[in-house]
Amino acid sequence: MARYFAIRLARAMITIALVVTFAFVVLRLSGDPALIIMGPEAPPEVIAAFRKAWGLDDPIWMQYFDYFGAIAKGELGRSMRDGRPAIALVLERIPATLALTIPALLLKLAIGIPGGIFAALHRGSLIDRAVMIGAVAGFTVPSFVLGLVLVLIFAVQLGWLPSGGQETWRHAILPIFTLGIGGAAVLARFTRSAMLEVLGQPYIRTASAKGVSWRAVVLSHALPNAAIPTVTIVGFMVGTLIAGAVVVESVFSWPGVGRLLVVAVANRDLAVVQCILLLVAATMVTSNLIVDFLYSFLDPRLRSRETAGAH
Amino acid sequence: MADVSLPESTAARRTISWPKIPPLVAIAVLWVVAMLVVAILAEAIAPYGVTKMDLRNRLSAPGNAAHWLGTDELGRDVLTRLIFSIRISLLIAFGATAISAIIGTLLGFLAAHFRGLAEQAVLMLADFQASMPFLILALAVLAFFGSSLPLLIGLMGFYGWERYARIARGLAISATGQGYASAIRQLGAAPSRVYLRHILPNIASTLIISMTLVFPEVILLESGLSFLGLGVQPPMTSLGNMVGYGREYIGSAPWIMLTPAAIITLTTLAVSLIGDWLRDKLDPTLA
Amino acid sequence: MTEPLVSVDGLVRTYRMRAGMFGRSRDVRAVDGVTFGINRGETLGLVGESGSGKSTTGRLVLGLENPDAGSVAFHGRPLPATDTSEWRASRARMQMIFQDPLGALDRRLPIAAQVREPLDIHNVEDEEFRTARVAELMRSVRLSDDIGQRYPHELSGGQRQRAVLARALATKPDFLVCDEPVSALDVSIQAQVVNLLIDLQAALNLTMLFISHDLRVVRQISQRVAVMYLGRVVELGNADDLFVSPQHPYTKALVSASPAPGARRTERIVLSGDPPNPAAKPGGCAFHPRCPSAFARCRTAAPALVEVAPDRSVACHLTGVESHAATALGAVA
Repeated sequence: MARYFAIRLARAMITIALVVTFAFVVLRLSGDPALIIMGPEAPPEVIAAFRKAWGLDDPIWMQYFDYFGAIAKGELGRSMRDGRPAIALVLERIPATLALTIPALLLKLAIGIPGGIFAALHRGSLIDRAVMIGAVAGFTVPSFVLGLVLVLIFAVQLGWLPSGGQETWRHAILPIFTLGIGGAAVLARFTRSAMLEVLGQPYIRTASAKGVSWRAVVLSHALPNAAIPTVTIVGFMVGTLIAGAVVVESVFSWPGVGRLLVVAVANRDLAVVQCILLLVAATMVTSNLIVDFLYSFLDPRLRSRETAGAH
Repeated sequence: MADVSLPESTAARRTISWPKIPPLVAIAVLWVVAMLVVAILAEAIAPYGVTKMDLRNRLSAPGNAAHWLGTDELGRDVLTRLIFSIRISLLIAFGATAISAIIGTLLGFLAAHFRGLAEQAVLMLADFQASMPFLILALAVLAFFGSSLPLLIGLMGFYGWERYARIARGLAISATGQGYASAIRQLGAAPSRVYLRHILPNIASTLIISMTLVFPEVILLESGLSFLGLGVQPPMTSLGNMVGYGREYIGSAPWIMLTPAAIITLTTLAVSLIGDWLRDKLDPTLA
Repeated sequence: MTEPLVSVDGLVRTYRMRAGMFGRSRDVRAVDGVTFGINRGETLGLVGESGSGKSTTGRLVLGLENPDAGSVAFHGRPLPATDTSEWRASRARMQMIFQDPLGALDRRLPIAAQVREPLDIHNVEDEEFRTARVAELMRSVRLSDDIGQRYPHELSGGQRQRAVLARALATKPDFLVCDEPVSALDVSIQAQVVNLLIDLQAALNLTMLFISHDLRVVRQISQRVAVMYLGRVVELGNADDLFVSPQHPYTKALVSASPAPGARRTERIVLSGDPPNPAAKPGGCAFHPRCPSAFARCRTAAPALVEVAPDRSVACHLTGVESHAATALGAVA
């Protein structure tokens, strides 16, 4: 068990290290980091101080390790637009993003999981077909198209809801639905196939042959086993809470992390971009670890297999 | 008698029996072919020049005899812009899918051939790529380098490589461990011959199916970036650009945004349908 | 006697087995000091159960893997290291026949293209010559011309193995390693392929290493036989003599389980104990836990392969003059 988590933790650290390396390489390839991070209008003494602090006059491998050190200490540079620390800019946007992504996640779970289970239990029914069609649509309709179509219908034509901005809770409805509907369909399709796979297993047929009621079979055998693959995709969705709304926030002019990222990329405000990149990586890695942890609860076989370990 | 019947039976065995194509898949194939024709013949079929402005007909609605799909705020023909956008979007999607298939397959083969550290490195990069949202990585690169068409194609070319790498590695290892690949190796063939002449044709169908899965995602990714104004830059235009531009006129001229949005959706849908069908037919092991 | 075409000296091959990602690794000696020679035009049968290391030995002798210790000399010269260009060039002189012919063929290429492949790889002569050579090869393995245009899955098991044989013979090699070439085939087809091998060997003066667990087939095709147990050769000698009077207890058990046709039926010796597992090799003589006549010394010391008669070597503490006394002692103990 301990080794299972040691391996997962090591992988998480490697992922973070790769993201930092990615940022370092891209940063070095694109020009003088001092000018890029601090901005071309920064006074020379600030640039000099930055160069000294980041060791830009050192050999490249030393810079690479110093870069890790600086990031570990939370020195992520300043926004070239208003000179504030990038980390502060990003952190103050997080609540706005979570105000969209958390309700959207709940919406996905509330529609997707029951929808998928129902579709699997009533294979071939109208709901099943709706789930399958919805899943294909959820995959093929880009979120900005869905968002704009919703704006066209509910804001432009019907005038029921605002088309953008963040003033009231009503402003959040369309972006939440845009984020939630597509994800719900994908989750429903995933849950459906996980359920169908479990329902086809011999132990389910054995249990129902033994006279256990179908309801009990589904509740005590099928659902827990179907939960295992579903946890993975939900974990991935949790991992995208911070950065999963880049496009939708832009569609609805919602001032979250995603909008900040797009503006920062357009302005080449690299300190902010780098900060968001690292934040996203940290979120993804953490949610992956949580998924691994949940896995070991849901599937004890996984643990024993890992510890026995003979490949 | 036997001499006469023998070639016949051989010929009968040789004819490939085409599986029945469901109507929906047939329509999807026709759609993709139509898009390709439009992209290739863009200059010939576009009614106007891309930047040609018809100032007397600004924001005219579709159905107009001179502008079938209407015009935008500058009086530019929507149909013409659509045709050139399809060309750019497909160029990026095809280019990127090809690049990522080549990179992924090559890395997968290298991992399978050298094993050890090279393999671990490839698998580690694949894990990394799969665990980070690609949109964020792409945005970071665009922030550092700015956007240009070759950069965009190259960047999108890093999307999905890890899937080909995993498939190519797995299949190449099973081929070299036991069977035809090790047999060819011991005939004295150089690795390039083993991988390119023998292993690659044997795993091509699986790789092509993966391409049909990656292709729509690349279209979505590129159109998303272009929609945000960070992908294809004017004066060039892609389907995502058109949606992004048309969004400003969503109240007064929704057709500017709706037609490219429909093209994006239908094209990704068509390629996904073809891919699903191919997967069911050729390779049920790919989940 | 002239120098053997292939001489194998003290081959060792160790595999590292590891339990899990951070598990402790352990070395498993699949082949543990194997020495023999094969004379030109001769077939050496290599016999043993699965896990005896016979297939690994075959791959080492052919140079498909590098040994951890020991050496293989071919025409008196050591084999080049694997996957070097000299190694690749040397493949034209030595070839392998596999157990699973369908697996050894590329299912996407017609048979003729595959038979021709060694000629393309080693750049033998011109186009015209290669085409003619393929036709000649197909005839020599008794495959009709139209089979060349077919794909592997359209052939029977016997036809596939003959196609593999044709491919192996394309560059006129001197030496062939056959690893269980008939064990995947129907019994009725086995004789056909074995007879073809015997005919071709005589016609082409081939030297062969014939690996099999099937004593019946080995007896039919081999002039000399080596018996392997857990990575070591336990008995080596002339095929006819060895099958008539096996010396090593393990050989005795094998032969008793598969008596020669027409030979007087002897009591079948049934081996007790676990089948050999290279990952848990017993100390001393590896065979001692299953040996009906093991005694104290067998548990502590591994016997060396010693020549006990002309063209007969045995690795057993019981053979040899001074150990005969111990037989009685061992039987009592």
